[in-house]
Amino acid sequence: MNLSNEQLLEIYEYINYARCMGERLEYFIKTGKILGAIHLPKGQEGLQAGLIMTLMDARKNGIKIYTNPHTRDQALMSKLIGLQPYADEMLCKTSGINGGTSGEYHMTCVEKGFLPAQGVLGPVWGQNAGFAWALKDQGKTDSVVWGIYGDGASSRGDAWEAMNIAALFKVPMVFVVVNNGWAMANPVEKEAPVQDLSLRAQGSGMRGITVDGNDPIAVFEAMVEANKLAMSGEPNLVEFKVTRWGGHFLGDNQEVYRDTSFLKHLDDIDPVLNYHKKLLAMGLVKEEDLKRVHDEQDAIILKVYEEGMNKPAPTVDEICDPNKVYGGAY
Amino acid sequence: MAKISNMKAINLACFDEFARDDKVIVIGEAVGQKGGAWGYFTGLMAKFGANRMLDMPIAEPAFCAFACGTTLAGYRPIVEFMFADFVTIGLENIMNMAAKQRYNSGGVNSCPIVYLLPQGGGASGSQHSQSVEAWMSNMPGIKIVAPTFPGDMKKYLQASIRDDDPVVFIFQRAIFGLQEEVPDNLPVPGSLLNASRVVKEGTDVTIVAYQRALINSIQAAKELEEEGISVEIIDPIVLRPLDTAKMFASVKKTGRCLIVHEAPKIGGFGMQISALIAENCLGDLAKPIVRLGGKEQPIAFGKACDLYMFPKVEEIKAEIRALVR
Ligand SMILES: Cc1ncc(C[n+]2csc(CCOP(=O)(O)OP(=O)(O)O)c2C)c(N)n1
Ligand SMILES: [Mg+2]
Repeated sequence: MNLSNEQLLEIYEYINYARCMGERLEYFIKTGKILGAIHLPKGQEGLQAGLIMTLMDARKNGIKIYTNPHTRDQALMSKLIGLQPYADEMLCKTSGINGGTSGEYHMTCVEKGFLPAQGVLGPVWGQNAGFAWALKDQGKTDSVVWGIYGDGASSRGDAWEAMNIAALFKVPMVFVVVNNGWAMANPVEKEAPVQDLSLRAQGSGMRGITVDGNDPIAVFEAMVEANKLAMSGEPNLVEFKVTRWGGHFLGDNQEVYRDTSFLKHLDDIDPVLNYHKKLLAMGLVKEEDLKRVHDEQDAIILKVYEEGMNKPAPTVDEICDPNKVYGGAY
Repeated sequence: MAKISNMKAINLACFDEFARDDKVIVIGEAVGQKGGAWGYFTGLMAKFGANRMLDMPIAEPAFCAFACGTTLAGYRPIVEFMFADFVTIGLENIMNMAAKQRYNSGGVNSCPIVYLLPQGGGASGSQHSQSVEAWMSNMPGIKIVAPTFPGDMKKYLQASIRDDDPVVFIFQRAIFGLQEEVPDNLPVPGSLLNASRVVKEGTDVTIVAYQRALINSIQAAKELEEEGISVEIIDPIVLRPLDTAKMFASVKKTGRCLIVHEAPKIGGFGMQISALIAENCLGDLAKPIVRLGGKEQPIAFGKACDLYMFPKVEEIKAEIRALVR
C-alpha cells in the first residue's frame, strides 16, 4: 500500500497524540485526578497510531469499526467515542460516556462502536464474536469487529473458545494480540512456549500473522488487510509485537522482576522518534515539528481534561439509580 | 385446552416467542437438528432455520459471552446449559458480564438473555444433579425464575424471554413429565413481579416450596388432611424478584412456616425466604421457622440419588406434625 503524504502526516499526529495521552495520564494519576490502577501506553504508541489511522481510514470509506480497549488503548478509545466523554468518564464525572460510574475498565457506547469493555480478562473475544455474528446475521456488510487482547489475556480459555466459535460462524472479526512481552510480572516466555502468539490462530484454522507493532505504517497496512479478510467471512488474527516501557500499572515497581537496562537506550526503540526520523528523511517534517506537534496534541488533551475536572461528579442518587440495575427498576 | 408436560411447555413457549419476535434465538450444544439434549427444542430449527438455533462447541464461557454480544445488536438469546451444574463454567459471563451490562452502560444497554438450567435429581450423581438457584441469587442484575407446573413453565418462560434483563430460568429434570391442563391461549404475565401463588389453602401451617419439593409438599399436605392438619402451600415461582406478599399473609394467618427445597440447607435459598419471614412476621410466629433441604454432601449416583438425597413426603409430614404439635 502506498500512503499519501497527508496520510503519513496524519499518522504523525496520532503517534504524538498517543504519546501525550500516556504522559498526561501519568501526570493526572500522580496528581490524584484519576483513580484506579491505570495501565500506561508508553512504548506502544506506534500500535495506537496505526490502529487510530485504520479507524479513521475506515470511517472515510464507510466502514464501521466496533471494538473495545485492552489495557493500554486509551488513545484509540478516546478517538472512537470523542475525547471529552472519554476523559470525563476517566474522571468519574456525570458527563462521562457512562455517567461516570463505569470508569476506564467498563466503558461502552455501542452506537459509537465501543463495545462493553470488561475488567475481567478473557470474555471480550466471545462477546465481540457474538456481536459480529449479529452484524452478519443482519446483513451489515459494512462493519467489522476488533477484539484486542494482550499476550496475557489471550492465554485465557475463553479467548481460545472465542476464536474457535468465530471461525466456525465465519464472523467479521479481527483478533488483535498486543504482545508487549509481559502479563503484569510474567514474561511471555512463561505464558506461551511458542515464538509467535499468532500461531494460536491455526488451532481454529484462521490466518494468524505477526507484525512489528512499533511501525504505525505496518500496523495500518496489516489492519486494513485484516479487516478486508474478516469482512469477506474470514476472521483472522494479527499479533503486534511491542515493548512495554513502564511497570504493569503506574506504581508497579518492575525493577524487582525485569531487567530494565533497555530504558537507558530508549531512543533506539522509541516508536515516536523512529517515525519522526522516517518522515524527516522523507523531507515531510522538519526537526522542530516533533516538539510542535507534540505540544499541540498535549494542549488538546490537557484542555479537555481540565474542563472535565470542573464538571460535577454523579450524585449518590445517580450512582445508586435502580434503573441502572434492572430495566424499569425490576 | 390440552394436557401438556413441562417438557412440552418449554417447547411451546419457544415456538410462541420465536414466532412473535425474530430476534429470539437459541444458543447451546446440540440445540439445532437434535432439538437439545432433552428434546424441548424439537422442531424449532425445521420451522425457523439454523440462523436462530446456534449449535455451539462445548465452550460455555465463550457462548455465554457470545450471547451478551448478540444482545448489543438487539437479539434476545436463550442460552441452554445441558445440566444446571455446568453453569459454573459460564458463571463468569453471567455474573460479571450480563449482570453488569446495564449498569456499566449507565442504564443504556439492556441484556435480555434467558439461561435455561435443567437442574436437580435424576440418578446422575454429584456433577449432574445439583440445585443451583442459591448460587445465582447473590447477584443484583440477575432475575431467577423456578416454576414447577406446566402452565407456569410456559407463561413464565415467555415472560422471561420478553424481559429486558438476564433471567436464570431453572426447572427440574425430575418433573419434566409432570402434566397439567393448559389453555391454548395462556396469557403471558407482563413482568416477573407478584408471581407467587397459593397452590393450596389451609389454616395451620404454611409451606413455601418449589419444584419437586413442592410436589412432595402437596402430597404430604393431602395425606395430613386425614389427620386433621390443614396446610397452606405457596409456590414462589419467581425467586428474584421474590414476591413476599402472599407468603407473609399466609404466615401471619398460620403462625407456622416450613420451607422445602432440594438444594442443601446451608446457604440454600430457603435461608433468604426464612430471613425475610423472620424480619417481617416474627411477632406472628407461634413456632420457629423450619427448613428442609437436600443432604449436606455430594449427591450419590444411581438410585440412591432420588432415594436418599432429597426431602421425602414422610419427612415433610414429620416436620409439619412437629410444627402443629
Ligand atoms: C481474569 C483476570 N485475571 C487477572 C486480571 C488482572 N490483570 C489485569 S491486567 C493483567 C495482565 C494482562 O496482561 P496482558 O494481557 O499481556 O496485557 P498488558 O497489561 O500487557 O497490556 C492482569 C493479570 C484480570 N483483570 N482478569
Ligand atoms: Mg502484555
